[in-house]
Amino acid sequence: MKLVPILLGIVTFCALTVSAFGQDTPERLNALEDAIKTQSRTIEEQQRTIDAMKEEMGKQKEEEPLQKSQEESPFSSKVSGFFGGSVLTNPNISLLMDTFVYTSNLSNSELANRGIPGFTTLGKDARNGFNMGAAEDGAELFIFAPVDPYFNLYANIPFSDEGVALEEIFAVTTSLPEGFQVKGGKFKSNFSRLDAQHPHQWDFFDIALPYRAFVGNEGLGGEKGAQLTWLPALPVYTLFCAEVLQGENGLLFGADARSGPHAFSFFVKSSFETSDNSTLYFGPSVLFGKTRNGNIVPDTDFDGSSSLYGMEAVWKWKPSKMQGLILQSEYLYLTQHGNLTDLTAATVESLRRRQDGFYFQGIYQWYRWRFAARYDMLELFADTFKRDGAQQELGETPWRATASIEFNPSEFTRIRLQYNHDRSGRDGRSNDEGILQFIFGIGAHAAHTF
Amino acid sequence: MRKIFITVFLSLTLTTPAFAELKVVATLPWISSLAKEIGKDKVSVTTLIKPNQDPHVVEAKPSMILAGRKADIIIYNGLDLEIGYLPLILESSKNPKIVPGKPGNCDCSHFVKAIEKLGAVDRSMGDVHPLGNPHYHYSPANILRVAEGMSNTLAGLDRANAEYYRANFRSFAERLKERQKKWSAIPLKGKKFVAYHKLFEYLAGEFGFQLVGYVEAKPGIPPSAGHVEALIESMKANKPDGIVTTSFYGRKESESISAKTGVRLIILPGDIGGMKGTDDWFSFMDTVLASLK
Ligand SMILES: [Zn+2]
Repeated sequence: MKLVPILLGIVTFCALTVSAFGQDTPERLNALEDAIKTQSRTIEEQQRTIDAMKEEMGKQKEEEPLQKSQEESPFSSKVSGFFGGSVLTNPNISLLMDTFVYTSNLSNSELANRGIPGFTTLGKDARNGFNMGAAEDGAELFIFAPVDPYFNLYANIPFSDEGVALEEIFAVTTSLPEGFQVKGGKFKSNFSRLDAQHPHQWDFFDIALPYRAFVGNEGLGGEKGAQLTWLPALPVYTLFCAEVLQGENGLLFGADARSGPHAFSFFVKSSFETSDNSTLYFGPSVLFGKTRNGNIVPDTDFDGSSSLYGMEAVWKWKPSKMQGLILQSEYLYLTQHGNLTDLTAATVESLRRRQDGFYFQGIYQWYRWRFAARYDMLELFADTFKRDGAQQELGETPWRATASIEFNPSEFTRIRLQYNHDRSGRDGRSNDEGILQFIFGIGAHAAHTF
Repeated sequence: MRKIFITVFLSLTLTTPAFAELKVVATLPWISSLAKEIGKDKVSVTTLIKPNQDPHVVEAKPSMILAGRKADIIIYNGLDLEIGYLPLILESSKNPKIVPGKPGNCDCSHFVKAIEKLGAVDRSMGDVHPLGNPHYHYSPANILRVAEGMSNTLAGLDRANAEYYRANFRSFAERLKERQKKWSAIPLKGKKFVAYHKLFEYLAGEFGFQLVGYVEAKPGIPPSAGHVEALIESMKANKPDGIVTTSFYGRKESESISAKTGVRLIILPGDIGGMKGTDDWFSFMDTVLASLK
């Protein structure tokens, strides 16, 4: 069998010779055929020696077996190594448990009502004492597998005390050419950095303040829609992306907006190595659409449109597995205008907002420990909040400072102790929070995104 | 006449795709080195992991994803060694040529006779390799199989140069045969070593030495003080010929155990290029075996 490609190759070469000289062709071909025959005999001989070598070297090994390698089970031959080991008919499954103990100087009812005036009326989810899940999801089930040669399917199903939600389920194409990929279903938008992360992947117990202020405690959350990404083969990593989303987020958009899909995003992510051991990752994004919900100002309904502009930057330094440093920052800027309906007085006035927020965080990893600090702030450069053209006095600038220590005994357990000094309530009172969090994961190995 | 027609036809259809280099992405340095042995000037190779990086704990970087995007073929170790980052690279690089099941997805472990396949495993046993010991790059017998498998894979992908790849493999095999004579003369039979991680089991099997203990009680989990103490005691009693590790995996701990027991510390290159004078697989193995002498 091995002869065929050789013959073809040499015959091809021969064709060139033929066209060059054009005479004595049969003789030349015959001579070449002979040459090929001798050549292939040598090759066959070589192959025989190689086979003999393999035989001999393999034997050596069997003669001196290793100290009791655990018995080979017939099952192990059925495991597919690639996505974490499972038989073909079973998807890869992993389950996470997320639990924490919470303490604050504020009472549970104060926590539940503590929004950020001028941004959100939605309070804190945590209660003093034992809690399940940073986003009330005590357990998260992940399921993923290839559907066929053309699609992969992913699902993320969080469980809380109240029930089960279909946070994400989406299919992704795997065989489009030229670096294109389409995702469809219900998924967490990849606009900005933290939005697509699940609560257990966060670098802190809670999401950064600008996210809480503009899209809520869990980020935008799973949105129904479609995403198109394109990774061109450029010298520098540059990912282009566009999304069309239903827009059901209860703070930035709203399920009862008047038109069909009414949220759209565009973003670019770029990255290059800043040294042998360090990488910079950054990109701008925009998320815009129709807004209709009652979570911005107490006892009102807002109907209008919003645009959220973002810029993210991450720098990672990892000289060895023993230590590493990650610096990360994001800036978000919101413009929003529309009508605010007072639900008690039944009056309508205009609302115009231009507000921003940012956070900066640093994480130092030393062996199995991670030490982290974060500073968040809202209304850095922009604090326009005009009702009927009049700027509202909302109180002191919201900010928060955070410190945390993590111990990760293995890749599958995380123990985190975190302290927040939270001044986002704008009422002159601080919320001093202490959190002891435990996250455990079992099942298939999920790869970590950069 | 028919002969001429056929040859001309073949020359037109077969020679056209032969000019561009095949873009190979290799996860580990030894794979990259082997790909260069087989592909020589017909391939351009990008390596994802550095020689002194621990291959067990690698994070996918965007630069790796970009390399995957441009690849004609990705060649990797397999046996779950790349489980922490390769699936993400394959998913994110949006390159249908290199997804599992395509000829551009080459898992070298498919050519290997893996040892230590584990039946019932769970993570209480640490970061075990359930599909078998993945560190077969220390195994001449398996490297020969991998080189052959790789040459066939490259030949299948780049038919115009098929015989070139196979010829390069045969010359690699010739050289391996020569070296093997030299290596088998190195007196390692019956020696006893303590290792940090289960990296050298293939080597032990093929060269007839024994691994009598491990600093890691469970792979990937730092050993407890009690385990290390017990190991030190048994090493003092049994006097093994050395404590073996690589520069990136448990070097400090091994140094301290060596100091406490008087047992010789042997640092082996973890991969090609991990130490001076280990620029290809042969010199890598030379260094490994000479260090164990
Ligand atoms: Zn290992």
